[in-house]
Amino acid sequence: MQISGSNELVEQILKNDLCVACGACVGLCPYFKVYRGKVAMTFPCDLTQGRCYAYCPKTEVDYDNLSQTFYGKPYQGSALGEYRRIAASRAGDKMISGPFQNGGTVSALMTLALKTGMIDAAVLTDSDGLIPVPRLITKEEEVVQCASAKYVASPTLSCVNKGVEEGYDRIGVVGTPCQMTAVAQMKCNLLDKADFKDPIAFTVGLFCTWALDFRTFVDFLSDRLDLSTICSMDIPPPPAEVLIVKTADKDIEIPLSDIRPLVLKGCSVCPDMTAEWADVSVGAYEGKPGWNTLIIRSEKGEVMVDEAVKEGFLIVDELPALNLAHLIQGADGKKRRARENIEKAAAGNDSERNKQPAVTENWKMSSFQ
Amino acid sequence: MTRIADDHKGTSHLLMGNEAIARGALEAGVSVAAGYPGTPSSEIISTLAKVPKEHNLYVEWSTNEKVAMEVAAAASFAGLRSMCVLKQNGVNVAADFLLHLSGSGTRGGIIIVPCDDPGALSSINEGESRHFARLLEIPLLEPGNFQEAKDMTKWAFELSEEIRNLVMVRSVTRLSHASGNVIFGELPKEAPRAFFKHDGFILDPMEGIVVSVPVSYRHGQQHEKLKKSIEIFETSPFNIYTGPDNPELLIITASVCDLYTREAVHILGLQDRVGVLKLGTTWPLPPKLMEKVMGRTDKILIIEEVIPFLEENVKILASELAPKIGIKTFFGKRDGSLPMAGELNPDLIISVLVKIFSMRYESMPSSYAEKAETYALKAAPARDLTFCPGCPHRASFWSIHNVLKMDNQEGFVCGDIGCYSLATLPTGFMSLKTMHSMGSGTGVASGFGKLDQFGMEQPILSVCGDSTFFHSVMPALVNAVHHKSNITVVVLDNSGTAMTGFQPHPGLKVDARGNEAPNIDIQAVCEAIGAKVKTSDPFDFDGTQKALFDLLEDKEGVKVLILKQICALSPEKKEKKMFEMSVNIEECLGQSCGCNRLCTRIFRCPGLVWDKDNQTARIDEAICTGCGVCANICPSGAIKKEEVA
Amino acid sequence: MEKTKLSFDPFNLIITGVGGQGNVMASRVLGNMLSHKGFHITIGETFGASQRGGSVMSHVRVSSASSLSPQIARGQAHMIIALEPIEAIRVLMTYGNPEVNVLCNIRPIHPVGVISGELDYPSLEDAKAYVTELSKSAWFVNATDRAMEQMGNPIFGNIILLGALAGTNLLPLDRDDFKMIIQGDMTQDKVKINLDAYDMGMEMVKG
Ligand SMILES: Cc1cc2nc3c(=O)[nH]c(=O)nc-3n(C[C@H](O)[C@H](O)[C@H](O)COP(=O)(O)OP(=O)(O)OC[C@H]3O[C@@H](n4cnc5c(N)ncnc54)[C@H](O)[C@@H]3O)c2cc1C
Ligand code: SF4
Ligand code: SF4
Repeated sequence: MQISGSNELVEQILKNDLCVACGACVGLCPYFKVYRGKVAMTFPCDLTQGRCYAYCPKTEVDYDNLSQTFYGKPYQGSALGEYRRIAASRAGDKMISGPFQNGGTVSALMTLALKTGMIDAAVLTDSDGLIPVPRLITKEEEVVQCASAKYVASPTLSCVNKGVEEGYDRIGVVGTPCQMTAVAQMKCNLLDKADFKDPIAFTVGLFCTWALDFRTFVDFLSDRLDLSTICSMDIPPPPAEVLIVKTADKDIEIPLSDIRPLVLKGCSVCPDMTAEWADVSVGAYEGKPGWNTLIIRSEKGEVMVDEAVKEGFLIVDELPALNLAHLIQGADGKKRRARENIEKAAAGNDSERNKQPAVTENWKMSSFQ
Repeated sequence: MTRIADDHKGTSHLLMGNEAIARGALEAGVSVAAGYPGTPSSEIISTLAKVPKEHNLYVEWSTNEKVAMEVAAAASFAGLRSMCVLKQNGVNVAADFLLHLSGSGTRGGIIIVPCDDPGALSSINEGESRHFARLLEIPLLEPGNFQEAKDMTKWAFELSEEIRNLVMVRSVTRLSHASGNVIFGELPKEAPRAFFKHDGFILDPMEGIVVSVPVSYRHGQQHEKLKKSIEIFETSPFNIYTGPDNPELLIITASVCDLYTREAVHILGLQDRVGVLKLGTTWPLPPKLMEKVMGRTDKILIIEEVIPFLEENVKILASELAPKIGIKTFFGKRDGSLPMAGELNPDLIISVLVKIFSMRYESMPSSYAEKAETYALKAAPARDLTFCPGCPHRASFWSIHNVLKMDNQEGFVCGDIGCYSLATLPTGFMSLKTMHSMGSGTGVASGFGKLDQFGMEQPILSVCGDSTFFHSVMPALVNAVHHKSNITVVVLDNSGTAMTGFQPHPGLKVDARGNEAPNIDIQAVCEAIGAKVKTSDPFDFDGTQKALFDLLEDKEGVKVLILKQICALSPEKKEKKMFEMSVNIEECLGQSCGCNRLCTRIFRCPGLVWDKDNQTARIDEAICTGCGVCANICPSGAIKKEEVA
Repeated sequence: MEKTKLSFDPFNLIITGVGGQGNVMASRVLGNMLSHKGFHITIGETFGASQRGGSVMSHVRVSSASSLSPQIARGQAHMIIALEPIEAIRVLMTYGNPEVNVLCNIRPIHPVGVISGELDYPSLEDAKAYVTELSKSAWFVNATDRAMEQMGNPIFGNIILLGALAGTNLLPLDRDDFKMIIQGDMTQDKVKINLDAYDMGMEMVKG
């Protein structure tokens, strides 16, 4: 895998509009900045290799290397990635309640991780109106302030860089699959630094099919309603096919077909629905509001979940086979679409091919069966 | 050094060309002098402004050149001697009024002193004011040395009174900003009184109304005046021929080119073969004198800078005189002997003469030249212009650049003339994308702002200085507000006309003479015009960037951001450091990923240097002004500032 | 006034440096000192860019007869005073000749291109060697550092160099003239510190 510098990152990713604003490159150096959901490079940097390029989930990602590092074997390309156990879950009685998106599993796990000292800081995503606000928190009670999903792409990982800068060395991170890919690369010492130390202690991935571009989404919504009245948003699991915008006095349903054009272009080539590189991954529970689907992937994840159950922070139940089947179907579907989109672009003329990130080749090689 | 308004009659003083012009005006008994700062003209007004108050003199830095000309004209109408001083661009600004003034005629002696800048040594064009004299149909005088700068200025007032019209005395950078010895004349004793007569016979030039109508009558009169000037010019002591009676080559030249020419002729030892006609009165040309001198030879070389103004006028006369003086061979700009662009110097003239006379000349031994060139190439890296250490503009453009990049909609900045013009270069992060005349940034932005109708969505900014704001931005701002142009105007308010040497302007509480003056508040003006205004200190990056983001997000109408911080060269700041700066080399990330020399590679304040041996940044304490700004850009906080007690 | 003889007439001197080093002031003071001796002085200057990081040059011409071109012709300098070492080399390229003398301050001011890393600044040894090779005689003085140490301000480097110029005896310069000229312009304490700087310069080339 070729690790390049910021100029290549700008050429391959930013200029091709493939950036999903995960925030991995923001705050590493003085050059990458994010404003209103868009990442920009403010001045050129002439280094030929940079962490920005190494961490970015949209440049070429060496899945085999990640899989070897975390699971000790080559990447298989199965729908849900490597895992130990899949279950249903929700926050237990010991967890304070909050405006959870679904079952509050994510918030519960992060709260406990802070409480036990497993992590010394958590990187979460708060919001200010529609705009997601990355936050680096250290107090348990701050976790619920960040509960609920923001369907707009958030440069959350900038706070990982901030946490490292501030000297935290056991950071917990919650993020989408692309963010978990970036975090996995942050944990790998890809640039072979002698003084490297993995600063991340625990990761919770969110299921994700796509995220929205803040700027176009805001323009879209402000044509339809007063932005200041929005309380929260939800995408109920299929077959609903709507985005529900909850305002102070009413719920507004927007068909997903209207929303799709506002999805980030980078999401169309994303093969990961269930955050395959996280310790645990959490999503909605189809047909059972107030519950989550929980994928436990790593040993650390397993220990954490068991502890959470023991401490009354989490309630775990069986996930019905039909739900699992739907989940696999959904995850496979995302992989298939990503592959099609990549191949479509690769089959295009030369200039189109050049617009594809280096990741293309790698995926063709090993990602999909 | 020399006190310009002391009598000292008959003594010699080393004066800058501009000081000589000022002295000439004082010897002529000038009462009113007005101007707008512009290199290389500024020291004329500055020098007069410093003349002690016992001399009853009124001096002002006007808001712009047109107003300056109008202020000077009023004094002339009231019978006083007056002058207007400006750089070449300024004549364009004053042109509308000038055309009317030359038509109406004047009373008290009045001169316009444009200082041109051949080679654009401190301008963004090398425009010419000489052709304005022809356009306005007024006499043009061009001093050729320092003594003449004084003497001709004095004489120009007399000429103006003789013909009752404006006279142009044109200088250039290499005269205005050079110094030489000048023998002083007498200063007048009596103090004139101002009175404007306006109720005499309507067409009476001295007692009627001062207007340019009826046009054909007044225009006819103006030509009578020109004829009179020509007669006077025929015997003017400022037109001097030196050389043999029948030279092989006649050089006709004027202004500082005369000094270059003499140098070249001297170096080549051509004194016996070349005659030089140095003209002081270059328009209209005196035909009898020209006939006599051109009759001496067949070959004529005309030496002047920039446009072939003198050359064309000489050629017109030569063709009219051809039956008497014969047909001449001309060398000059039109045949390519001399360049059309850029300034001249003795070397360029040497090379022309060497060609005409088929001579050989070596200015330095070739082995020496080769060696010197090799060493210079190896060891004298170019020195690009930069904002000064501690300059608020560097900070302002830092924020502007960062905000536009982060905003990520390909926004751009329109600018104009001032120190901040340097923002076309890396020192201002190449932020300026258009740069034209004074105030044009905002006018151009106003136009860009209306292109949304054609699908243009880029954010549009303009920048202007505080002095420029009053000079010519206000009408553009009114235009933008009235037409609902969605633009953001950034006023870089450094409390003075910094580029030209810190002259006061209407935004300050002091006038040219150092008297207290009511200041006009830029923020209040902008608000009254109907713009939304924010003010920030450019040294406060966070506050400035936040303010700019807020304004950019507001998509309605005109926004103004005033960035206030005094120029690093201002007398208040110059002598004292606010902070003692240092770099903690342990913390400096240098070239590694995470910084890659942001401070020296990008921010580039000359006060910070890159220490190659240690691979860290370092403060050059001989240059750093201690503004403290760079401490805020270092990503690892390695640049430390400590307040100076 | 009695005129001293000049070694060359006109005597062409160039003061070169970087904006902000007090180049213009040095040329004015020098010009006035010699004007006071009865010579005709012509000084040609480039300002405008002067404070803005660019190279700044003053051509000072001393003649017993008349005003001269404010720009010296190529190869015609008799003396070069450089407030910055690489500026000496730059000026030598155009105005130097085997007979020229150079008085050079050794404190570098890095051009922005060097600061940014695009260009290289020579080592002091190389710079000195080139200047020496391109001149008849060369004096190197550490004016800026001495000015900072002793006067607390690098700006007095220009006056130190004026003093050093007097010390070379290449031009008829009088300390009393210097004193008189700065007295006309400055407060008493400033006069003192300028005289100190001048004297220090004289010492530096004599030693
Ligand atoms: C963009 C996006 C798309 C999603 N798509 C799907 C989907 O298709 N199918 C599905 O089953 N689930 C999806 N989810 C996950 C789902 O919405 C819930 O986040 C998940 O079920 C966890 O619920 P919870 O109640 O445990 O979360 P909570 O306890 O409410 O915690 C939510 C956590 O998510 C983090 N977060 C919120 N927004 C973002 C963001 N934009 N980027 C990074 N982190 C964020 C917060 O920091 C918070 O810690 C998506 C989430 C996001 C953010
Ligand atoms: S779809 Fe992929 S790229 Fe888009 S936000 Fe989700 S994980 Fe990131
Ligand atoms: S403090 Fe920093 S920015 Fe200010 S003058 Fe010194 S080096 Fe330049």
